[in-house]
Amino acid sequence: MCRMVAAESQPIDDNDRQTQLLRGALDMCLLALLAREPAHGYELVRRMETAGFGAISYGTIYPLLTRMRRLGLVAHEQQVSPTGPPRKVYALTDSGRVHLDAWQKQWNRFTDTVDAVLCPLDHNPTRS
Amino acid sequence: MDTIDRLLGEADQAWRGYGVGSADRAALAADLRLDLRAAAADGGDPAQLIGGDVAGFARRLADEAGVRRVRGDYGRILGTALIGAVLGVVLGYGLLMAAYPAFVRMVDIPRSIDVPVQLAVAVYYGIPAAVVITGAVIAVRTRLRDLPRIRRTAQLMSVLMPVAGIVITPITVAFAWATGYSAAPPVVVAEIAMVLAALAGATVLARRLSLREGRTAAETSHADATRVKPA
Repeated sequence: MCRMVAAESQPIDDNDRQTQLLRGALDMCLLALLAREPAHGYELVRRMETAGFGAISYGTIYPLLTRMRRLGLVAHEQQVSPTGPPRKVYALTDSGRVHLDAWQKQWNRFTDTVDAVLCPLDHNPTRS
Repeated sequence: MDTIDRLLGEADQAWRGYGVGSADRAALAADLRLDLRAAAADGGDPAQLIGGDVAGFARRLADEAGVRRVRGDYGRILGTALIGAVLGVVLGYGLLMAAYPAFVRMVDIPRSIDVPVQLAVAVYYGIPAAVVITGAVIAVRTRLRDLPRIRRTAQLMSVLMPVAGIVITPITVAFAWATGYSAAPPVVVAEIAMVLAALAGATVLARRLSLREGRTAAETSHADATRVKPA
């Protein structure tokens, strides 16, 4: 397992870094969560937080869900709730599963490449 | 009005300003309402979920939904119409000055013929007004040809601007009469402003109607491609 090396003289803005990383993977993660179990928008926000991504706003996730629905990756249906109003529950479509599979492979290749680039850093001394 | 209604009202305003058609706005709002109600039932605060920038959220949502947007561009249209009208005034005045002597020689009405004053007034004011309106319509049609539905806008302008002119003329005359036909600058400026406001109103109405026609046509013929499917 590789270890990231941080330059001590320059503070790293973890939030910005996290946002940038998430930007390229958020749709894939949402598809993966929906592949496990269909959910409505707010439920997905909570699942992302539970998964360890921190607080991702509903204002980010709901438009993204709308886009994925436009692209045919997810579909929604209204489900009657015994405890409240009807729920608009999103689920993966066949096309969504195909895309998720392809994106997951692409992601694995990408992270392998990044790991391969970062690993040698462990063995090199950091210049001051 | 509850929080969800208020938020949807703000979102609707933003969608309107963003050029989203009424059917798309209704579909987006219906979907969002359902989701927010579900979130509220689970203990989420709709206002907190969307955040402080409701308009930004609404625009982002419209973008992601891929709805068709048609912007009014009222400012550009009014500015261009004004430029065209001013050019029409200049051109019309120049042509009139050049052609006036020829007209007098060609059309020598005998003094025995009594020309009704209404006809004389209509010709005297009608021709310059027609030149001004033509200048405005041509300017909008040619300079803003990149705007969607501009052809229909220009067509409607050519109908509505004369109507506005006919309506505002007696009102302006009545104002002039009420002020003793004063030539004081504030009075003259007010008279000019009244006429310009009427013409501007006709221009805005023409644009609005042309966009509404376009949205209605698009929503009935391309509904699947442009609209979020209702839940």
